[in-house]
Amino acid sequence: MLEVYIWFYAGCALVILGCIGTVIGPGVKDPIVRTLNTEVPAVGMSMILLTYNDTIALLTYIAATVLITMVLLRAVVRLEEMGAEL
Amino acid sequence: MIVPDVVSPVVVALYTPAIIVGIIAGLIGLLGIAVEKNDLQILILTDLVGISMMIFVCAVGTDLAESLVLPGLVVELAEILAISEVLMSREIRRNGKEVALIPLPMHMDMEILDTSPVVIAILLIAVGAFESGFTGGAVAGGGILFYVLSRTMRGVPSGMWEGIAGASGISWCLWLAGFMVFFVFPQYWLLALFLAAFGVFIKVAFKAGLIGVIGREEFKKE
Repeated sequence: MLEVYIWFYAGCALVILGCIGTVIGPGVKDPIVRTLNTEVPAVGMSMILLTYNDTIALLTYIAATVLITMVLLRAVVRLEEMGAEL
Repeated sequence: MIVPDVVSPVVVALYTPAIIVGIIAGLIGLLGIAVEKNDLQILILTDLVGISMMIFVCAVGTDLAESLVLPGLVVELAEILAISEVLMSREIRRNGKEVALIPLPMHMDMEILDTSPVVIAILLIAVGAFESGFTGGAVAGGGILFYVLSRTMRGVPSGMWEGIAGASGISWCLWLAGFMVFFVFPQYWLLALFLAAFGVFIKVAFKAGLIGVIGREEFKKE
């Protein structure tokens, strides 16, 4: 029983700390740093999904996270190349 | 008790902490959105709200969570994709500067992009068709996207995007019809299952069309 709860609460801690880090963490004025910071709550989320034994959901989530990160990084890079103020 | 017996006691015990964590994460994300001024930063923070939504879905546990995860993620992905396109096209309108559709640090005009895409795309689509459902759709969509993007360097026929978008809409109707059959004629559940599985497979695979229709004006026309 202990193992299940350890993974679940580790995931919860990662989600909350990652959210705080993404909102007010150091260097988040840089959008790339902020995008990479969103990966921390994503890992916590994966741990929670693992606790609930949702394998298909975990696979779907990993695929979607990769796509979302790619879309965000593409937007950041394109806007930066256009010279928009970030 | 409202909770049925099939739900394991561990899931029931973890329900309240999971909901509390979801509320806290969502509040932090929304506070960040409220404070932030820049549009792009707000778009990135939207991801956090999506994660808190996913925790709510997870807290349900069992197979219900597995099936509810899919629409949530697809909606979130489509939303982020659409808003990022809006931001970028607004910036193009504003200062009229041309930027590559997909900025890459290297020159992509390589020999291998001429010879390999067909094989890799066919392999990925075959694997995806075998898997069917959402996962297979994602794999096959990766194959189609890879093929199209490697063609982009030399120009994509613009009519192709309209075809992909049309097929995507028809497969969405297949999926809906599958669900209708589930409820109206439960004895044909196998037919309904296959309609839904392959409808979602084609739909997710042709999500590439979403990127294509938005970026249609920016592609080189052949």
